[in-house]
Amino acid sequence: MHDPISLFQGIVLGLLQGVAEPFPVSSLGHGVILPSLLGWNIHQNDPFFLTFLVATHLATAIVLLVFFFKDWVRIVRGLGRSLRDREIAPDDSDARLGWLVVVGTIPAGIIGVLLQDPLRKLFASSASAAAFLILNGILLLVFERWRRRSPGVADEYRSDSDAHIARTVTWRQATAIGFAQAGGLIPGISRSGMTMGGGLLAGLSNEDAARFGFLLATPIIGAAALLKVPELFGHAGDHGVRTAALAGAIAAAFTTVLAVKFLLRWFETNRLTPFGIYCIAAGIFCTVVFAL
Amino acid sequence: MTKRRELIIPAVVIGIVLIVVAVVYFASTAASLPSFFPGHVGAGSAEAAHHHTKHGIAALAVGLLCLVFAWFQTGSTSRTRAAG
Repeated sequence: MHDPISLFQGIVLGLLQGVAEPFPVSSLGHGVILPSLLGWNIHQNDPFFLTFLVATHLATAIVLLVFFFKDWVRIVRGLGRSLRDREIAPDDSDARLGWLVVVGTIPAGIIGVLLQDPLRKLFASSASAAAFLILNGILLLVFERWRRRSPGVADEYRSDSDAHIARTVTWRQATAIGFAQAGGLIPGISRSGMTMGGGLLAGLSNEDAARFGFLLATPIIGAAALLKVPELFGHAGDHGVRTAALAGAIAAAFTTVLAVKFLLRWFETNRLTPFGIYCIAAGIFCTVVFAL
Repeated sequence: MTKRRELIIPAVVIGIVLIVVAVVYFASTAASLPSFFPGHVGAGSAEAAHHHTKHGIAALAVGLLCLVFAWFQTGSTSRTRAAG
């Protein structure tokens, strides 16, 4: 029987997923658009493709967890301290950062549970993904423009990103960023773009907004993937999908490491602007191609 | 951090209700859920036998967060402890 997704396709889509997930350019949107551009018979609502995505997302989440493992250990200890003391001590930035991540994850998780399937069915076409990619690019440019108007980072926090995030982001802003994350359920809208944008609007620098975005990404991507792992071993994983998924996951893990390292360096001195311009240009190009 | 003790009881009540809702989601099929629950479907639907585990996990997470919030409101503040 013909494999629904070949090994080659799995590796290409895995490489793409690994780059596009941490970059603010919508991995889901690219996962919908690329097969259409290349004429591959792969659609985002196919059960086997959803199974494939589970594997690549799980790989991305594991890489993010390993990459920030020392930070997670500190954060979890901070959470434990705050529970023990029944308060978040004013100078305990690890505890506050941990609860900000929890508060920022809950809205996205609830919206994901309630709306993931309807949104995927509603915006399944590559044409709508291209249109939302343009919108994503415009939003990134707006976020960047807004950031330039906000005050810079105080000198005392320049060396400690986590302390700056913990002291700058309010509970309401973390909740709002959590809701914004849910925008990533729409193919073409970037989850990481929305969290970085939310961080910029809250007064973070690009570097700190990216770091907060990566911390927020780990639980939500990991939980979404873990909940669907049984499908990987069910019927949807048959006919070579598991092999392609494994290859895709390894490829995604490889490029996620490179992408996260690149982005953390990039945002030390650079901005979201090039990603916004890329999204607008790619969205317009794909809209024209799909219309022809 | 300011403590708002008047919110302890509402947070505990909401937390317990949400945990009960989570248990209902874990234990019931989509068709046997109360009709006002998200995810409820008619007995003739193709998804009638489906368990909405993810809905249950979401309700459980928010319920636990409500209990954690209440727990934080029961403690003394750093300033109170320092003064004591």
